[in-house]
Amino acid sequence: MSHGPRIVDAAQMDLPAGSLWRRLPLFSAIAAIVGIGASFAMRAGDEKQFYFSWLVAFLYFMSLGLGALLFVLIQYATKTGWGIVVRRLAENTAAGLIVMVLAFIPVYIGLDKMYAWTDEAHLDEIVRGKMWFLGAENYIVFGVLYFAVWIFLAWWFRAGSVKQDLTGDHDLTRRRIVVAGPAIVLVALTLTFASFHWAMSLDPHWYSTIFGVYYFAGSFVCVFAFLSLVVLGLRRAGALEGFVTVEHRHDLGKLLFAFVVFWAYIGFSQFFLIWYANIPEETEWYLERMHHGWQPVTIFLAVGHFGLPFLYLMSRHIKRNKLTLGLGAAWMLFMHFVDLHWVVMPAHHGKEFGVTLLDVTTMLGVGGLFLTAFGFCLTRAKLVPAKDPRLIESITFENF
Amino acid sequence: MAHQLDNTHEPVEGRAPLILGGHDFKSLTGKVAEPLERKTPLGWWLCFLPSVAMLSVLGIAVAWLFWEGVGIWGLNNPVGWGWAIVNFVFWVGIGHAGTLISAILFLFRQKWRTSINRSAEAMTIFAVMCALIFPGIHVGRVWVAYWMFPLPNQMAMWPNFRSPLIWDVFAVSTYATVSLLFWYVGLIPDLATIRDRATSRLKKIIYGLFALGWRASTRHWQHYERAYLILAALATPLVLSVHSIVSMDFAASQLPGWHTTIFPPYFVAGAIFSGFAMVVTLMVICRKAFKMEAILTLRHFENMAKIIMVTGMMVGYAYAIEFFIAAYSGNPYEQFVFINRAFGPYAWAYWIMVGCNVLSPQIFWFKRFRTNLKVLFVMSIFVNIGMWFERFVIVVTSLHRDFLPSSWDYYSPTFWDVLTLIGSFGLFFTMFCLFARFLPMVAMAEVKTVLPGADPHGDGPKAVIQGAD
Amino acid sequence: MGLPLPMVPQLPEGKAFGLLARFKDAPAIHAACEKVRDAGYTKWDSHTPFPVHGLDRAMGLKASRLPWIVLTTGLSGAAGGMLLQYWVSVHAYALVISGKPLFSWPAFVPVTFELGVLFGALGAVFGMFALNRLPMLFHPLFSANSFAAATDDGFFISIESWDPKYDETATAALLREAGAIEVEVVNNE
Repeated sequence: MSHGPRIVDAAQMDLPAGSLWRRLPLFSAIAAIVGIGASFAMRAGDEKQFYFSWLVAFLYFMSLGLGALLFVLIQYATKTGWGIVVRRLAENTAAGLIVMVLAFIPVYIGLDKMYAWTDEAHLDEIVRGKMWFLGAENYIVFGVLYFAVWIFLAWWFRAGSVKQDLTGDHDLTRRRIVVAGPAIVLVALTLTFASFHWAMSLDPHWYSTIFGVYYFAGSFVCVFAFLSLVVLGLRRAGALEGFVTVEHRHDLGKLLFAFVVFWAYIGFSQFFLIWYANIPEETEWYLERMHHGWQPVTIFLAVGHFGLPFLYLMSRHIKRNKLTLGLGAAWMLFMHFVDLHWVVMPAHHGKEFGVTLLDVTTMLGVGGLFLTAFGFCLTRAKLVPAKDPRLIESITFENF
Repeated sequence: MAHQLDNTHEPVEGRAPLILGGHDFKSLTGKVAEPLERKTPLGWWLCFLPSVAMLSVLGIAVAWLFWEGVGIWGLNNPVGWGWAIVNFVFWVGIGHAGTLISAILFLFRQKWRTSINRSAEAMTIFAVMCALIFPGIHVGRVWVAYWMFPLPNQMAMWPNFRSPLIWDVFAVSTYATVSLLFWYVGLIPDLATIRDRATSRLKKIIYGLFALGWRASTRHWQHYERAYLILAALATPLVLSVHSIVSMDFAASQLPGWHTTIFPPYFVAGAIFSGFAMVVTLMVICRKAFKMEAILTLRHFENMAKIIMVTGMMVGYAYAIEFFIAAYSGNPYEQFVFINRAFGPYAWAYWIMVGCNVLSPQIFWFKRFRTNLKVLFVMSIFVNIGMWFERFVIVVTSLHRDFLPSSWDYYSPTFWDVLTLIGSFGLFFTMFCLFARFLPMVAMAEVKTVLPGADPHGDGPKAVIQGAD
Repeated sequence: MGLPLPMVPQLPEGKAFGLLARFKDAPAIHAACEKVRDAGYTKWDSHTPFPVHGLDRAMGLKASRLPWIVLTTGLSGAAGGMLLQYWVSVHAYALVISGKPLFSWPAFVPVTFELGVLFGALGAVFGMFALNRLPMLFHPLFSANSFAAATDDGFFISIESWDPKYDETATAALLREAGAIEVEVVNNE
């Protein structure tokens, strides 16, 4: 057995000619048109349902993009070695945030269908006292501000990384390392307040200081599940051979596992403290979800988003095997949808749990939109940061 | 010294060396083992004797407490929980950095941890010892302290498992046990090294007994490394759970300022924050005392400064969100508590807390300060002052304004409160002095894995990209 | 001797324990382990001052069974914790506290978790000791001249005399050929 350096083929950094991945933007665009078209067609039938379903889909793909953006920023800030080979994929995912601003428009249009605080004439004293943060004007002003921060960062970090593929200029990396630290602070704050505005305020009486962390935890579950699937798909298409190895998949699996546990920790902390103290203004949120039609969903969420994947993903063999990792990742993508549905929908359905066709079509439409941007970026640059100074370190990294 | 001692500049093209001074395996062993093999230096006595004096202060304070009862402390009617709980939370928190370094940084493959993990883990154990004093002594009737454990007794009485305080008993005792095991497992190969170098028969026998007959075999290393990884994987959620459960002592209540859902992760971040500050305090001294500049390099300190800054900002985030949600909640009690904290009778404590924990770590945005040991040393003490005050602010400000204004009061500690706190530092420093004298304070076997020459495939590049333009 | 002593290796009778060969550095011992493995030896070991990455694979060792031990002890600890709390709170000392049901499972999660971790960690440490047959305070290798370096900077391979392929001269030649800088015969006792 020789221990000479491993030879890796540079052509593996590009999508193979004729690969279906090259048509991802096209397919996604079709999905977006079909999904959004069908959703709008059904809007007249149940306008409220349309907006709520849209909001879930919006929050879902926002969390994916934000998770990816934070993952890129953290990689720069910590000068990560192992993750360079998956960083471009995360950059492309974060670029999905840029088109998500389009998906924000229907959310804003439907404000008065979703948020009880829009009905200013019938507000009680408590909610009226919150209008310095809530209210349609705040919603749009803050919304634009959040998007401005995220779009700029998603664009700037990817643009420099792609530019480096051509120039090989290491200063691009150095500048991003400097910017990444403050950028994380900005994203952490904007993500928190966005989750307050968009999701927590659906029940304007309810409040929870951990809510922003909860949304963040879900976003990291989502992004590592997504990246695992993309990596597996690309390897199947014959790309990234020698770049993304079993070691990287194992690491993505470990991060997925870690954030499944972290999500459970945050989710349980929130539930537990509210359950234990039993203060009426807080428990209403869980009362809605733990009785009647939502009770099975809550149990399903606890088991499906934590119990089962915790036991399943614990083994290193599961994480290193392509099929089992792929199954786990796909399951977590689904469970993240259940999670957001569970957070948002009781504000609409009240006591009764329900899934409508609109839940499917909006996910298809907004997801298609998101993946169009993702696919567009994916097909227009190398699949890995080709001239990143730490690329070799990343390729050759091994787990314990 | 001939060798360059600044490794804080890490080029993006590679990695800065972790260990300087041109060390190889043999010289590293010698350097780490040396303090154990020479005559006890005067400097050690100068640290040890005052520590023992402080420890005896603890003895006196606790003896008087047992004799006289908790009335010697400054507790009053609304503030029924004073310095004892503040000190308890403070010391448990200090411990958390040791576990973060030994477990979480291990899982994240942060190899720089190898130079500091041994002493940080030792610090964890001593801090937990200090913490355990307070729940033990504050119960009033110490002779029934065993009621905290689920032991059958003559009254057929059992603990209340729905009480956060009983969770604390389990969390902290599990934490103490697992930290001790983790530390000891890490020590075994190094104890064997000391055994094999020992010249006196007594030392050979004592270190030999604790080294368990370790013979550095690969068949052993294999199970050993697996055990170490599993311990790290268990200690990671454990360390999160411990301070989360400590936070539930407060958060499970209905008291404004205590009951808030962000408490568990916020307490964990604060614990790591204060613990890293304590590691920095101790390591700055040890680096100088043991002339370990090449092993405890500036880069290690810079990384710790970064973690202090990050966790400090997490704590700041929690302060901000608590304030924001209090305002947003529309709950007048919540709003009162936070305004009272910032502008009420304890505003001085609140602003010490904010100044030390949120504002002062901001200087670590600048590399100049992260790599200046004097600044780091001063900052680390600031942070620990700030974190002590954080617990003080949480405990006292929420209690001293009861729901009934007729019960409002101002809490002040007594002479005995102060002596007990000082005494607990005595215990901490005494233990640390003993550790630094008799045990290898750097994990030799682990540091060797990051030295050049440790990689069986050589130190050159292991892959070449062919066909790249 | 009839009774097995826990701290002493149970070795077959024989004059020599085997051979101890020293190698220059980590790459040398890695290559040598592959050679000894490929030569078909089974009763042998290598000794390094730190865990050399991939040396277990170079020796052809099977993966450690420790994770299964930990899983068992950890789950037992957690289950025992939950049962204890259930029994205490529902049967032994049933009191209604803060209006909560006697079996308030969320309140029992912290202790259940802690006991799971505690027993998992105990299983990891004592399971590792058991798998490694530690403590073992006496071993023939400790009498070898250069063996003290194994905890300092020495890289060693030891081959035991009761390995079916063992032959003092041929095995020593193999070790020298594999790059040993020093080969020593170690006596049994």
